[in-house]
Amino acid sequence: MTSTRQLAKSAGFGSVVGVALMLTAFTLIDFSGWWTARTISNVVHFSSILALIAMGQALVIISKEIDLSVGSVYGLTGIAFITFEHSLGVPGAVIAALAIAAVCGLLQGLAVVRGGLPSMIVTLGGLFTFRGIIYVWTGGSVRNFSEAARENWLTKLFGGEVFGIEAAVLWMLLMLAILSVVLKFTRFGNHLLATGGASDSAESRGVRIDRVKIITFVMCSVMAGFAGIVTLADQPQTHVTIGDLLELEAISAAVIGGCLLSGGRGSLIGAVLGAFIVTSFRYELIALGAPSSWFITFVGVVLIVAIIFNQKLARWAGHNV
Amino acid sequence: MSDAHPLIQVKNLDLYFGSFHALKDVSVDFHAGELVGLVGDNGAGKTTLIRVLCGIHKPSKGEVYFDGELVTEFHPKLAIDQGIETIQQSVGLCDNLSIARNFYLGREPMKKIVGIPFLDFKQMRSMSTKVIRAFGLRDNVSADDEVERLSGGERQSVKIGRAVEFKNRVVIMDEPTNHLSVREREHVNELAVQLKEQGLLVIYITHDIFQVHKLADRVVIMENGEKIEDASTDSMTAEQLEEVIRQGGRLVEKMGS
Amino acid sequence: MADAAFKPLVRKHSEIGIFLIAILLIVFFAATSEGRWNNSYNISTILQITATLGLMTLGVALVVGTGEIDISVGSTFGMSALIYLFLAVRVDPFIAATAAVCVGALIGAFNGYLVTKTGTPSLIITLGSLMIFRGLAIALTSGFAFSIPYKERGGFSYFILGGDNMFNFGTFAGVNTGFLWLIFALVVLTVVLKLMPYGNHLLAVGGSSESAHSRGIRVDRVKLKAFIICGALAGLGGVLEAGKLGSADGSMGRLMELQAIASCVLGGCLLAGGRISLIGALMGAFVLSSIQSYLVVMAVRPQWFMVLLGIIVVFAALGDKKLRHWAHKH
Repeated sequence: MTSTRQLAKSAGFGSVVGVALMLTAFTLIDFSGWWTARTISNVVHFSSILALIAMGQALVIISKEIDLSVGSVYGLTGIAFITFEHSLGVPGAVIAALAIAAVCGLLQGLAVVRGGLPSMIVTLGGLFTFRGIIYVWTGGSVRNFSEAARENWLTKLFGGEVFGIEAAVLWMLLMLAILSVVLKFTRFGNHLLATGGASDSAESRGVRIDRVKIITFVMCSVMAGFAGIVTLADQPQTHVTIGDLLELEAISAAVIGGCLLSGGRGSLIGAVLGAFIVTSFRYELIALGAPSSWFITFVGVVLIVAIIFNQKLARWAGHNV
Repeated sequence: MSDAHPLIQVKNLDLYFGSFHALKDVSVDFHAGELVGLVGDNGAGKTTLIRVLCGIHKPSKGEVYFDGELVTEFHPKLAIDQGIETIQQSVGLCDNLSIARNFYLGREPMKKIVGIPFLDFKQMRSMSTKVIRAFGLRDNVSADDEVERLSGGERQSVKIGRAVEFKNRVVIMDEPTNHLSVREREHVNELAVQLKEQGLLVIYITHDIFQVHKLADRVVIMENGEKIEDASTDSMTAEQLEEVIRQGGRLVEKMGS
Repeated sequence: MADAAFKPLVRKHSEIGIFLIAILLIVFFAATSEGRWNNSYNISTILQITATLGLMTLGVALVVGTGEIDISVGSTFGMSALIYLFLAVRVDPFIAATAAVCVGALIGAFNGYLVTKTGTPSLIITLGSLMIFRGLAIALTSGFAFSIPYKERGGFSYFILGGDNMFNFGTFAGVNTGFLWLIFALVVLTVVLKLMPYGNHLLAVGGSSESAHSRGIRVDRVKLKAFIICGALAGLGGVLEAGKLGSADGSMGRLMELQAIASCVLGGCLLAGGRISLIGALMGAFVLSSIQSYLVVMAVRPQWFMVLLGIIVVFAALGDKKLRHWAHKH
């Protein structure tokens, strides 16, 4: 009892339960060959991309804010990556695209902190603005990589395979490791948790909460942008709706992973597992022959169940949320 | 006084917040026409106890009787309907509403126009204006002003005025003189005594034992969620009571053994 | 010293900002569009769009007033439109409309129940139902549109449910009947908010739910009612839009939730709750519809609307904040 409660204290616990339940269910009702190399590899690939975005989202939610713009930032950065390649080459395009993502995050962070506005409104504005820029910039046209760019070592590094493992997975694991260390073992991580948990107390202890929040928004946007680059390095073709509704999937993944909107709590591994759950169900529903719209409904149901379950779990574990 | 049945009777009350044991087996009686001082250090459980009495918290274990009847449902609405009025430290006023609207919040007077109940603004305004004048609020403050504009003392005056104005049976005051000037403080204490003389039960919460000793008939001391002393002000001096608080109940145990 | 006289006015009426913006925009649009924007046909279209967006906005404003948020209204709007279209040709338009509004109210009740019973953030709960009902709407139509054949759209029921314009004399194109419903809803809700106990409770809950609770107000019930009204109004908006267009597909009302929230912010509603202006929120909806229509008539690529919408939302929130700050400075 006590040890279960101890275990439940970690925010990601709910998602571990979720993954276990899901895998059991998929094994028992296995119509479509879930445990095949092809399915697993696809699911893991797309889970990794969603996980990159969800981890950034988790950081923002830990700081007690929310970022609704990640789907648009993902799309905008991806399109910038493809477009800039013609003039800057692949390495230049990567840097320029990530810089654009960082600017998106910086502007939103500044508006939230300096303007004293709710992040929901600011990033809602960001969602529209960045999506609108995608439309206006591309004019709805499809953009492609040249053959040379596809063969570039950097493109391969982001989108290809390394030692037989897909690059997206490795990048995700790398980012998970780095961000976990940052969150758990650095001063910034401590400040981030304090800012989300009790901003007044954090400020009274000399934490620059405005700086912490701005940096977190920048990190979130850069992570979303990076996910866009990883996606397009693998399949270098853009369309205007790229990343549409992805913010919902990312928030769902973070919430499933144990991020409560009350701030100060959250789990990066949880966010990764959350992304795995969301993506797995998309595959399973497709495999079952359900119309794709059911996936949207499904994510909605999971989101609601997850927030209620995780909140109850946290309260049971003795957290004041 | 003890032979009359108590107006509020608390029996073996326990309250947990998660795993935190906030109230431990508290039993206490309160009678009508009595001014009881509820004293203790911060975190002793005074505010938690009165939050049960005014319906905000539901006890985990134990019973509360009001006027001889067992209370089964806890909600501020029911407490207010029964005539238990509470003046709390941090809550009670909504900054965004006018004084008149705050004054009648939860018990708005109605005026029916073609059968539809509308707010009776005339009554709301005149009553609250009367009270804020009686409590000496600045002359340029009107009943239509938002509470946001008021000072700490003025906010407290509105809360107390509200409690006094409605004909109640119990008035609970949680640290009513915090943030008040000396003159305002005396006024509040006079009011507390007046209410008692009108036959109401007044529960006065404070950590200033010397202040409450002058006013109260009886003092209940709490420590760590437990009641450690319950004595009439005739039987113990303020200094003795202060010593009980300082010893944190150990003195009482010694005296009892 | 006009300053000193103006401050209390702004303090009490946060919607003044949006009225000034609306007037400036109208003058600017009229002056620069060479009659393409300010003709009776276009104005009539703007009012029709304002009517359906406005009904949704009124509901969202009430929920925002309690300190919560409802972003599922776009999907509610779509679901109700589809239910209305499905039943109108099979049963009767009035019964269909009632059923559709009831479904809207039920979705609202679903949101409100989950938010109040579980104490979870309304942003996440309504984000969930936004997806649930959008998915259902697309699945219901399985990619096709529901419609009422044009020849069947006669009769008073269709007319009054947004089917046509009224007051159309001579060259004036009239206003859509949906606008009547909007004015009706505005008047009723303003009376409820300002003059009735429920309004007092709603604003109290938004201002300080703890204080409201301590005064005996059943905070959960107040919130639940606000969510139900919000769902019903979004549903009514959907019915009227379907009545106007005569058809709808699964994407009906998409992104409208964002426009409704933007309208509330533009109209001076405080997202933290407790301070809302219904007429201001409606002016917000009108301003957004006007801008959209200006871009259309000026043949600007409609994609710019998205960029503008995003920037407007942020700057409106910023302007509102500054205005409040100024008005509350002594």
